[in-house]
Amino acid sequence: MFRMASQPRHNWQQLAAEYGFHFHTMYGEPYWDESAYYQFTLQQIEQDIEDPTAELHQMCLHVVDKVVNSEALLTQCQIPQAHWDFIASSWREKQPSLYSRLDLVYNGQSPAKLLENNADTPTSLYETGFWQWLWLENLVNAGKIARHADQFNSLQEKLVYRFEQLRRQYNYQRIHFSCCEDSVEDRGTVQYLQDCASAAGIDAPFLFVEEIGLSDTGYFTDLDDNAITHCFKLYPWEFMLREEFGDALEAADVGWLEPPWKSVLSNKALLPLLWQAFPNHPNLLPAFFEQDKHRTTGGKWIKKPLFSREGANISLLNDDDSPTTLSDGPYGEEGFILQQYHPLPRYGDQYVLIGSWLVDDLPAGISIREDRSLITQDLSRYLPHIIL
Amino acid sequence: MSHSQKRSKSIHLHQLRKAFALKPLAVGVAGIMLTACGGSREQSNIYVSPEDCQQDNPEATGQCLAAYESALEEHNRTAPKFDTQNDCEYEFGNDRCQYVQTSSGSFFMPFMAGYMVSQLLQPRPYYSQPLYTSFSPYSPFRSRWVTSNGYVFDGDIRKRSYSAPSSVFEKKPTVNRTIKRGGFGSSVRAKSSWGSSSSKSKGWGG
Repeated sequence: MFRMASQPRHNWQQLAAEYGFHFHTMYGEPYWDESAYYQFTLQQIEQDIEDPTAELHQMCLHVVDKVVNSEALLTQCQIPQAHWDFIASSWREKQPSLYSRLDLVYNGQSPAKLLENNADTPTSLYETGFWQWLWLENLVNAGKIARHADQFNSLQEKLVYRFEQLRRQYNYQRIHFSCCEDSVEDRGTVQYLQDCASAAGIDAPFLFVEEIGLSDTGYFTDLDDNAITHCFKLYPWEFMLREEFGDALEAADVGWLEPPWKSVLSNKALLPLLWQAFPNHPNLLPAFFEQDKHRTTGGKWIKKPLFSREGANISLLNDDDSPTTLSDGPYGEEGFILQQYHPLPRYGDQYVLIGSWLVDDLPAGISIREDRSLITQDLSRYLPHIIL
Repeated sequence: MSHSQKRSKSIHLHQLRKAFALKPLAVGVAGIMLTACGGSREQSNIYVSPEDCQQDNPEATGQCLAAYESALEEHNRTAPKFDTQNDCEYEFGNDRCQYVQTSSGSFFMPFMAGYMVSQLLQPRPYYSQPLYTSFSPYSPFRSRWVTSNGYVFDGDIRKRSYSAPSSVFEKKPTVNRTIKRGGFGSSVRAKSSWGSSSSKSKGWGG
């Protein structure tokens, strides 16, 4: 695993405009960064990332099965009691999922460690599935990168295939796609999924989450008063369950992507539950609920809220147990978990985090984000990668 | 290229070039008004005018006209809409757009280029939908039929007969009216009001 400096394509911003990649620069800071790329060996990709990703995912599903069958665990995960049946039945009915992203710490040598599972609303999908694919295609064609170079990235192919499956096997003929207003990045991610769904022959209209209506007959509706029968929402379950329309979810009978049982996986309670079920697994970091703090044995620990986004509300507990706040935020009212501190690998002055994607249960590629700070925040940059 | 390639083999770039997507005004949702009829695909024909339809169905003059009128009505409701003539013509070609003024504002939209009909001769309600095509060299659906929500039929514009996807015929749950909107999304406002220090207005993907 190396970091290689690289000459940006002279026309990449023009290409970005042409393909509708509107969030390559955000808040005045570069987000897409092709002044360098990361290079892996095939063995690193397959043995250290792809195989553990598939295994970690299965371990996560094992935890979901335990949680939905236990009132104590549902309580511990802070899932509102009114929705226990809704979530448990989505699991028993095996409602299909679309995708997820595992965040891994990996330095090219030691086993990759799972930091979090973004199972409900993962982003940086378009940059991964399409944009970095196009980057490699362009650089290979320009003779800047060897023709036999490859990339761990079958994301788009697998997404289209998954949508075809959803259409044929689960009768997803029309899916409403949705995200909240005022985020170019989320809208771009959802547009990409609409494109993938359309390529699979699915009718893929869009409306904002705020625009979803409730009909007199108990169905959710779009702006033309059509019932929403299937819906992809880039909006967290932990919000939806607690909002006004949360009470209407059960009767509205929507096929959701992601399905409600993903609310167990996007919950950081997953991390201590994984460690309980698979202690000392090489791809896990020790993790505990805050109330089990006495079981943490020395060293540094990261304290994270059960629900949080963008690395918010994280603090570091030092050897002497004194806390250092690493990031502020609005989260934490539902409680915290502790995860053993495992620093991100450093290349030059950059810390690197690997996002490892799955489509349903198949590993489908990676995305790489760099940051000058230790906690990967929203303003970190996205870099492409190759296999050589 | 080796057999064990780890990346997508090919990506159809034209499918990802942004046409009238990402312009909220233009995302018209086709209202499909048909009763259920099994899960199979339905044979549908495309006509460019009522006369064209009548030539094909001499015994169904009235249905041809009614289907045309209902497509036209649907066209007025769901045609892709653009703020400027330029944007519209970039997508559909020179002189292929009309200026429309309504009580809620003005915009440009393409002319209806044809309409798709199925079950015209059945006693059941028939289905009719407006179709568009583009003469613009910049458009991914140049010389193809496309619906108002961007579904592009494969094949050249001269192809006038398709088996339409079964989604077209899927029975919709009954909705009489929407009683409320805005019941999702409140957490965003609550959480966003925090954190002016970093002044990030961020989405909720992660």
